[in-house]
Amino acid sequence: MDWNCTLTEERLSDFIEGALAPEDAAAFSAHTKTCAVCAKLVAQVSGLVSRMQHTAPVEEPPLLVGKILEATLGPRKRKPVSQGWFGWIPAIWQPRFAMGIVTVAASVLIIFHAAGSPAARTSLNPVNLVRGANRQIHLTYAHGAKFVNGLRVVYEIQSRLSSQPESMSEPISVPATRPSGESQPGHHEQQPSTEPHEKSQTVPHSNRRDGRGGAEMAIMLPNRFPSSSSISALRSSL
Amino acid sequence: MEPDAQLVQLCIRGDGPSWEELVRRHTRRVFNLCYRFTGNPTSAEDLSQEVFLRIFRTLPSYQSSQGAFPTWLTSVTRNLLVDHYRRTRRDRMTDSIDDAMPQLEEKHSPARSPDKLAQASELSAQLQRGLARLSPELREAVILRDLQGLDYAEIRGVLQVPEGTVKSRINRGRIELARILEEMGVRPA
Repeated sequence: MDWNCTLTEERLSDFIEGALAPEDAAAFSAHTKTCAVCAKLVAQVSGLVSRMQHTAPVEEPPLLVGKILEATLGPRKRKPVSQGWFGWIPAIWQPRFAMGIVTVAASVLIIFHAAGSPAARTSLNPVNLVRGANRQIHLTYAHGAKFVNGLRVVYEIQSRLSSQPESMSEPISVPATRPSGESQPGHHEQQPSTEPHEKSQTVPHSNRRDGRGGAEMAIMLPNRFPSSSSISALRSSL
Repeated sequence: MEPDAQLVQLCIRGDGPSWEELVRRHTRRVFNLCYRFTGNPTSAEDLSQEVFLRIFRTLPSYQSSQGAFPTWLTSVTRNLLVDHYRRTRRDRMTDSIDDAMPQLEEKHSPARSPDKLAQASELSAQLQRGLARLSPELREAVILRDLQGLDYAEIRGVLQVPEGTVKSRINRGRIELARILEEMGVRPA
């Protein structure tokens, strides 16, 4: 076969891919050995085809698949892990919260390490904690109740005293301030005054719950209690 | 791995995960075809989305008698590329001025250059520039054959032209591309 440059160009791909008949392939090779132009063309195209076939595919943009799925299936659902019981974890697990959690955990660890004795550990038992809290609440309540009762007694006495006539409020006798050279009847006259004085100390003390209220009353009563009948009436009312 | 035909059937029944698998399996092929044809990564990305959107809508009408799924997918891609080529013809006439002034190519930012995107060699970028100078008929034939690895029958199915025409286009495309690269100063491998 009379092979020429036109035929070489037309059958070039067949030659490269080995699709030429043996006799055509032989004629092709014989021509390229004698034609520098065709030899150069064959070398260039063979190299180009080899290079293209070994060219790695271009990597698609990383978000392309997601965009396609969103355009076709709609907005993508979240992963099941982020839902349900543990759905709050990603929201909490932010640097600011994580820092706080780590700090608290470190503090608890330090406390545990410092209070390492078994007794201290048993005191952290929830049952013991509840019992302790319950006891503390009752104690606080009892203390408050006693304080309120004491105040009630004081104000009750104050209100009753303020309702007495002014004349009765004057002290009958003040033994401690009397001169030592006075007459004997003065001694007899002291009796009514000492009795209320003693009662004034015993009556408030019988009901006194608080130190302050009782002390205030003890100071006030010796000067203002007029008679034993008033005291007995007060005691009966209380 | 399930074959494409099985995935397609599951997709037609509305199975989302099968569609996702189908998309993941073929996105790179579609993107490469679009990128090699347009030479523009942004256009290639948009066109790839358009391709899969069209596939998603027309999947129920797909019949295995139309050929294997990859061939059908390539055919849809190629049709969209032709539409895109016709739509952007006016823009390309402006671009041809840029081709005449190679120094303008240096203005492309490195982040948007094909090299960066593909993380390929400079040789790949030169090849891309050479392909851009081929006529669309020859370009698509060379891409399908030498970069996408389709055989002649598959290319004939995609291009809907006789096999002799396919062979002729591939052969002429290779020779012309080799000459273009020589003009560009690219030495053959």
